[in-house]
Amino acid sequence: MRGFTQFLRKELTETFRTWRIWVLPGLLLFFALTSPVIAKMTPQLLESVASGQEGLQITIPEPTYLDSYSQWVKNLQQLVAIALLLTTGGIIAGERSSGTAVLVLTKPVSRSAFVIAKYLSHALLVIVSTLVGAFACWGTTYAVFGEAPVSRIVEPTAAWLAFALVLIAVMTAFSAGMKSLAAGGAGIGAFFAISILSLWGPALRYSPAGLAGAPSSLLMGENPALVWPLLTGALAVIALVGAAVLIFRRIEL
Amino acid sequence: MTSATPAIEVSGLTKVYGDVRAVDGIDLDVPTGSVFGFLGPNGAGKTTTLRIITGLAHASAGEVRILGRSITDPETSRSIGFLPDVPGFYPWMTAEEFLRFSGGLFGIAGSTLEKRVKGLLDLAGLSGVKTRVGGYSRGMKQRLGVAQALINAPEVLLLDEPTSALDPLGRKEVLDMLVELRGRTTVFFSTHILADVERVCDRVAILNHGTVVTQAGVDELRSRYSAHRLVIQVDRDQDALADDLRRQEWSSGVERNSDGGMAVTVTDLEAAQHGIPALVAARGLALRRLESGEIGLEEVFVDLVGGERR
Repeated sequence: MRGFTQFLRKELTETFRTWRIWVLPGLLLFFALTSPVIAKMTPQLLESVASGQEGLQITIPEPTYLDSYSQWVKNLQQLVAIALLLTTGGIIAGERSSGTAVLVLTKPVSRSAFVIAKYLSHALLVIVSTLVGAFACWGTTYAVFGEAPVSRIVEPTAAWLAFALVLIAVMTAFSAGMKSLAAGGAGIGAFFAISILSLWGPALRYSPAGLAGAPSSLLMGENPALVWPLLTGALAVIALVGAAVLIFRRIEL
Repeated sequence: MTSATPAIEVSGLTKVYGDVRAVDGIDLDVPTGSVFGFLGPNGAGKTTTLRIITGLAHASAGEVRILGRSITDPETSRSIGFLPDVPGFYPWMTAEEFLRFSGGLFGIAGSTLEKRVKGLLDLAGLSGVKTRVGGYSRGMKQRLGVAQALINAPEVLLLDEPTSALDPLGRKEVLDMLVELRGRTTVFFSTHILADVERVCDRVAILNHGTVVTQAGVDELRSRYSAHRLVIQVDRDQDALADDLRRQEWSSGVERNSDGGMAVTVTDLEAAQHGIPALVAARGLALRRLESGEIGLEEVFVDLVGGERR
């Protein structure tokens, strides 16, 4: 893969020098810090709402660290996933439309190196910022609730990360052949399709769709069978990035 | 590689988009070490040809070889430098960072890279500019574009309209730089600015509607076409004589000049040299001037591609 190391280095530098470092990491950190606080405050908030309504009485159990973790996981599965899809719409299309791909690809850089470096740099950003977020959430939860078992946040977060890596691969394939906006739209469509597919038993057990709901199940103490979803998820990542390379090789710049 | 091997060989190159043949079976031979102008009006197929030569687009038919190698050979990209018509840079980088990045992609490092980056920043007039590229004017970007195309000291330099965005001073600087490269680097550049071609090119190919209309040395082209154009001046009745000339079999066009004379484009020079004095004498006019016209590349270009627009 000609030019891979140099181009990956450029991608990582770009992460730290542009908006990339603020959007997803910022969002993750925000949810990490606010999830425990919101979980803790929810009963008081509802109580204050109920106090203004005569005859209305709301009984809410005392919140625990699980409510904090639940809030974190819900945010990962919904808002962070959508933000991930929108920000990776231009993962390849952005360089095509700005003309930077032309200057890079007329030098000794292969198209496969270009695509794989793009995937890996974005995957690395999501992995690192999610782990930092999970650590921040764990710390804040401990500070707020005085109890925060590490394993209960690590497993759901790891399952979500596996799903996120599949989503980035989906976006890499879409972005190789579409414009940024179209790729973002197609990605959101694919996300909802996977979510719906995960309601179907066989897809839940044997395909990457099983990773979509796995974080919530793990948090609830269930023991979902994840071997096949992880295995097929890894294969899907390889197939999708491979497809992105093939599509991008055929694209004219 | 020997000097007999053309730096760029294009044979039967064709590019079809739907029903449109953007490039239609063109053949080009660009001699090693030459400065070659690829001339044509907007939409003639110049950029498409360059995109195929650089591997950015795929040919529908035909073949391109650079320094004897196929453009799909990974080694080919090590030997070329390319500047697109509108170069796109990472706006968050400085010029120096972009040159270092470009050099790194060629595997250039250490003192060689330092030396080249410094030299090219000087050449582009961007030494000491700490602003990020996102804040550059189009001219600054174009100069940086030329600099990045030279980072690997390429054997073949491909430039798409390199001077179109530059002011007269910037244009002169870029053209001077191309002249300096003559003999060491083969320069192939597309343009529609005829003055640039006349100033720096050894050879030229004129492209129109996707086909090469002519390909020759600049001087050869001038002499080839000037031999077929005669300038005539008589003492009176210019209009009547012009009508007579238009009716001749050997005449393919008559134009009135601002100095009172007329330029006759002829298909048979000898017949015209005999026929014109006879026509003048038949009308009882005095022939004041009959000479082969000196024409510039612009007139050749207009003759070859502009006829249909007149």
